[in-house]
Amino acid sequence: MTPASWIRAGTITEIVGTLSSGRTSLMTACLRDVTAAGGTAALVDADGAFDPASAAQAGVALARVLWVRCGGRRDAALAATDLLARCPGFALVVLDAGETPPRVSLGAAFRLRQAARRAGVALLLVGRRRVAGAGATLALRTRRDALAWAGSRRAPTRLAGMSTRIHVLRNQGASPPSGDERRWWTA
Amino acid sequence: MDRVSGARVACVWVEAFAAAAAERAEPALRERPMAVVTGAAPAARVLEANAAACERGVRAGMAEAEAVARCPGLLRRAASPARTEAARRALLDACYGVSPRLEDAAPGVVHVDLAGLGRLAGGDAVSAERLARAARAVGLPARVGVAGTRTAARIAARGGLGVVAPGGDALALAPVPVTTLDWPEDVARALGRWGVDTLGALAALPRAGLAARLGVMGLAAHDLARGLDDPSPWSPWALPPFWEEAQELDWEIDALGPLIAVLERVVERLTARLSAAHLVADTLELRLALAGGAHHARTLALACPMEAPRPLLTLLEHDLGARPPQGAVTGVALQAGAVPRRALAGVLGRAAPPAERDLATVLARLAALVGAEHVGAVALADSHRPDAFVPAPLALDGGPDATACAGGAALTLRRLRPPRRVRVAVDAERRPAVVAGALGPEARVVACAGPWRGSGEWWDEGVWARDEWDVALSDGAVCRLARDPRSDEWYLDGVYD
Repeated sequence: MTPASWIRAGTITEIVGTLSSGRTSLMTACLRDVTAAGGTAALVDADGAFDPASAAQAGVALARVLWVRCGGRRDAALAATDLLARCPGFALVVLDAGETPPRVSLGAAFRLRQAARRAGVALLLVGRRRVAGAGATLALRTRRDALAWAGSRRAPTRLAGMSTRIHVLRNQGASPPSGDERRWWTA
Repeated sequence: MDRVSGARVACVWVEAFAAAAAERAEPALRERPMAVVTGAAPAARVLEANAAACERGVRAGMAEAEAVARCPGLLRRAASPARTEAARRALLDACYGVSPRLEDAAPGVVHVDLAGLGRLAGGDAVSAERLARAARAVGLPARVGVAGTRTAARIAARGGLGVVAPGGDALALAPVPVTTLDWPEDVARALGRWGVDTLGALAALPRAGLAARLGVMGLAAHDLARGLDDPSPWSPWALPPFWEEAQELDWEIDALGPLIAVLERVVERLTARLSAAHLVADTLELRLALAGGAHHARTLALACPMEAPRPLLTLLEHDLGARPPQGAVTGVALQAGAVPRRALAGVLGRAAPPAERDLATVLARLAALVGAEHVGAVALADSHRPDAFVPAPLALDGGPDATACAGGAALTLRRLRPPRRVRVAVDAERRPAVVAGALGPEARVVACAGPWRGSGEWWDEGVWARDEWDVALSDGAVCRLARDPRSDEWYLDGVYD
């Protein structure tokens, strides 16, 4: 099972966590799975924090990712997500809301879900805290477990990897990670 | 071509080409008498006139004052080389959609090699109809003649003969009046004096006698009447790497609204040409000539190759709104970098990519929302410089990538753009110990790795050098710090997440 298999078309999935908890790595893995399968994805990047080099290293086909940089404007990020969620053909639309996610009313969240359902788009919201409330079908929280360093113990040369534990906060009929899948390792 | 057995050539001919080019730029002119004039008043003369003006007695070469006297409602447009050149290219582009082997014979005259198209298109008549339709699609009313030689095809087009049966060139051309063609003055006078009124009568004259009386011109006229080509080889026309539409303005424009109205026509003409050649635009270059001689140039890299005029116009409108030209506009030129349109076949088990029309609309709206330069796919640049990437077209085709890895994931960095300057206190081994101004006021380094040294472009002005450190901070963040060894300043590059 890959991260993209946890996400269903026509629904909203949320990944939340603190900085350095592994939430962006999980998002990148979803982008990789979708683009590797030949799909087209869109990333609405509220803060312009996406790193193409890391993503390419993770296996993301950058040519299949429409990257929308919003320069810190939360309202523009929400509007862009709404536009993309209504465009059929995108296998995955990601909103990376960063550390200060915008406030989304429950009505707006349900409208967003309805738009995604009509267009058959899988919507992934990533940020510090949840915003879609009951509009989300699956909500996951990431928490860092441990770090691994490359090089000698006394003078390591590079960060080698990070272990993340995934907790399911909400599940309304999705296929959340289970068992060993809840431990996520990035290297 | 005439010596090649079974050769079939079409000639696409647009009558009064300069006038047709003006009508293409301003379609409303088609309904009214109009003449293209050259020279300054009072010595201005009619270069060409459209059909409505010709019906009222306006002729090429006539003084403008005389033309206006004959046709009081005559509209006049100054001759524009840019407009005529754009129309010339448009006609070639249109023909290119039917056959790849073309010859640009003259403005408004294109020779098209139809050899081998019979099985594809369904015969000469069908090819001729397709050529005429393609020319109409780019705004040029063309007549098409098909024959065994370029000369015969040209006469067939001008004489309205249409498709000449294979081997029947001489027979078909015989009844065509000699006045259909443009002759040198001496030849025209001699033909009138001799009472030769059809090409058949001219072809029946003894060749030696023509040579004795008119010299080389007489032989050329004889060959022309028989539909024989001159010995010049076929000079094939090659598809240009870029496509341009231009319009010179008779008046200065200093407001965005009227400029967009002009641009709309230019974009429509350009996209019609691209569409005729089965191409789509992936970049747009807009050049505005300003009063005073300056230029305003903008380049737009499209997030997705497209040919729909409306989203392209929206992008241009937004860009001009954000960066308006510094002066009144006197001319518009729009250039498109073109790529082949790709047919997208659905793949079983995978959703089709966004439809071009839907995607174009969404991209135009996104561009209006966050700026065109902030929307699109990217590719890694060929550089070791950190965070080096370049815009790239969004790929909508292609199947699953078998080489992509599955399972785990790579460490992902959340970048800060631009990198945030931080204060770092180092320990005795010159390793970061305390970081201030990163994500909070101050944080202690609990673990660190580095330095990871990099430098580049020392041979250029963009020289860079840095020592990278991966640090785990006491507030829980795992960051990448970079120290510039030249200035000894520290920056927060990003946060691992």
